[in-house]
Amino acid sequence: MKRLAIVIALGVFATGVTPASAQKTESQPGVTPSFSPVTWERLLNAKDEPENWLMYSGTLDSQHFSGLDQVHNRNVGDLELKWAYQIPQLDRSETVPVVVDGVMFITEAPSNVVAVDAATGRQYWRYNHPLPDDLRICCGRNNRGVAILGETLYMSTLDAHLVAIDARTGNLVWDKELADYRAGYSKTAAPLIVKDEVVTGMAGGEYGVSGFIDSYNAKSGELEWRANTIPGPDHPDNQTWAGDSWRTGGAATWITGAYDPDLDLVYWGTGNPGPDWNGDVRMGDNLYSDSALALNHETGAMEWYFQFTPHDVHDWDAIQVPILADLEMDGEMRKVMMWANRNAFFYTIDRVTGEFLVGKPFAKQTWAEGLDSKGRPIRIPDTFPSAEGTTVSPPVGGGTNWFSPAYSPRTELFYVQAYDGEDTYYKRDEDYVEGDQFTGGGGQRPGPADDYQSAIRAMDPKTGNMRWEFEIQPRSTAGIMATAGDLVFSGSVDGYFFALDAVSGDELWHMNVGRLVHSSPMSYAVDGKQYITIAAGNVVYTFGLRD
Amino acid sequence: MSMRSLWVTPMLLALLSLTTAPAALHAQPREEATADNLFTGTLDVRMGQRVFQQQCGRCHGNDGSGGEGGPDLTNGFRSASTDAGLFKIVREGIPNTQMVGISRRSTDQSTWMVVSYLNSLNDTTDVDLPGNATNGQQLFAGKGNCGSCHMVNGDGGRRGPDLSQVGNRRKPDELASDLRTPDEEVDPRWWTLRVTQVDGSLVEGLRMNEDTFSMRLMDDNENLWSFSKSDVRSFDRVKSSTMPSVDGALTDAEVDDLVAYLFSLRREES
Repeated sequence: MKRLAIVIALGVFATGVTPASAQKTESQPGVTPSFSPVTWERLLNAKDEPENWLMYSGTLDSQHFSGLDQVHNRNVGDLELKWAYQIPQLDRSETVPVVVDGVMFITEAPSNVVAVDAATGRQYWRYNHPLPDDLRICCGRNNRGVAILGETLYMSTLDAHLVAIDARTGNLVWDKELADYRAGYSKTAAPLIVKDEVVTGMAGGEYGVSGFIDSYNAKSGELEWRANTIPGPDHPDNQTWAGDSWRTGGAATWITGAYDPDLDLVYWGTGNPGPDWNGDVRMGDNLYSDSALALNHETGAMEWYFQFTPHDVHDWDAIQVPILADLEMDGEMRKVMMWANRNAFFYTIDRVTGEFLVGKPFAKQTWAEGLDSKGRPIRIPDTFPSAEGTTVSPPVGGGTNWFSPAYSPRTELFYVQAYDGEDTYYKRDEDYVEGDQFTGGGGQRPGPADDYQSAIRAMDPKTGNMRWEFEIQPRSTAGIMATAGDLVFSGSVDGYFFALDAVSGDELWHMNVGRLVHSSPMSYAVDGKQYITIAAGNVVYTFGLRD
Repeated sequence: MSMRSLWVTPMLLALLSLTTAPAALHAQPREEATADNLFTGTLDVRMGQRVFQQQCGRCHGNDGSGGEGGPDLTNGFRSASTDAGLFKIVREGIPNTQMVGISRRSTDQSTWMVVSYLNSLNDTTDVDLPGNATNGQQLFAGKGNCGSCHMVNGDGGRRGPDLSQVGNRRKPDELASDLRTPDEEVDPRWWTLRVTQVDGSLVEGLRMNEDTFSMRLMDDNENLWSFSKSDVRSFDRVKSSTMPSVDGALTDAEVDDLVAYLFSLRREES
């Protein structure tokens, strides 16, 4: 009963409402927690139980915001390490754990998941997904997290499967192949639960695959619908691909989307067109690569799209987590989507219609004069890759990338990890061979890493103007979490995990965690104590206030 | 970087066309396996480069000098000391790490070609240089006063890069450029940090390491300093080299001698 009481107290303190889970979450202190099934209603109202982190981005609007405020901008200096969990593989971790009623689920490279006691980091069970030894993966053996519905976890695997795993034991419930890994398909992102379905994307944009977003019946694993990210020849938008280039056009969907229950729309980003750097063989806008898609959840039909980078030749995937919020703009409440894109522009878009509202650079860019009234970039000539190399900002890795941005409804600021870098882009001829990389060029940083800098930038989504920035030397590829304690947590490649004041950007606390932070932070509470977790290198660290 | 790759590749191809015997391409440490690699000709290297750029360039950089997540492969290999070892890594990757092998359907031939390309990036073939390495060694220790800052095989100063294997990582024309125009390409490790402490005193030294919150340097007296950025009044980075140009101090012939000596400082000779 102690936990129940403290959870309620925390919930009231943080949000002013009684957590929905308060009626469901009962356990004795020191006793193994027995989590209640995660119903769709709990996911829908995840904001009301901030002691849990129920999905990849925390809530369906993907704000990556924790409603907990026990750790705040006056006591964050008292954070100390509570526990560490060592992942047995050496790969850099990109996981964002999910926490349900004191149980944490951590995904590991290559395609494994463990359940641990969220208060101690000690293991309950593990599931190791069997994998073939001839995987096609461009960019590391990554897995970013699970989704949960009821008592079942859903996880992507590198051989392009979606697996359902019993959340209490780690037993396999079902295993579904989405596509043939031998053709270059893989899966790395956490799925998204919408009602009683599992919405999920795929990876493989460097292998000439053809992208899609699927929705599966959570219980049976049966496919409900598939939304192809490249329209077939019967669709007029197929004309945006020269010849048959659409067949190998990529537009993968390798990061988790968001969902608006009022509009019943699923929002999802799409990746680069293929081949990445040689656009000569796929003239046209290459729809719907590098786009935000709004899909009706019942049917998978596309309600609208917004293409950030038509005819991309720099590998600037629109693989960012869409953040949804309702903002007052020009005296009118707007349902918006906020998006800091890999192409170095920040966008605010009406998420009902897809209308472009605001767009400005948030990181160094040398490829566009700006955006026109529809949000389409006005390209600067001679910025395409070439045989001899063309140097352009942002670099291949983008002004930002897949790691999560955050939004605080308290400050109404959007926080993004920005990188002011550049690359020299090369183009070459390349034939498509199924299962081989199909990129048509490459990029190379022209100077030493120390010549460039990252920064966390706080953007005003109503204007696109930067409110503050915190410089990071030399670089960060970490996601961001904002909290009700008016804190912003993030990390850096030089092995720091740190907290900033969400209002001013002032640094308040940092800790040397030893290896690069290449994931996004999250927060939860057990027995009334708030914890903050981050994966760094191949270790998951959890911090809490000094006892 | 791009200039370097443009220059190096033609030079290497020219060199390789002169030396077609496999054993001549790779001196020590890989000779026992070299006999197994039948694809070491000029075209093989070029084909290997193509496969490398397509399959490996995303992580290791278009020219192998390192990139997003993959280490520099132009300065030796961390995980293989033979061609057979390289072949295995290129094909299969390194277990439990991000290094995955190239497509399993790649033929043995194309994998060997990648091995040949990787070796070409670390080529240690002797070339005819105008200078005299023995004279250069004397200049290094004497008139050039290089040893006051640079260490070679354990002897010398600490205020410049260790040059014991500089011939493995710098080509002759790059060495000449380093000597004549040292400010042109300064590794951030050898920038200078000028730190003003809260009491107004200045500490200045070579930038050993810097991150978001702290910095470490070595001053002229070879003292090591570590600062938290929040504890100092201000700091500046000076991105020029602390090394003077040899122009005016050495004749052209002496510079040639010094380049010949520096280029002779390679792994197999250490």
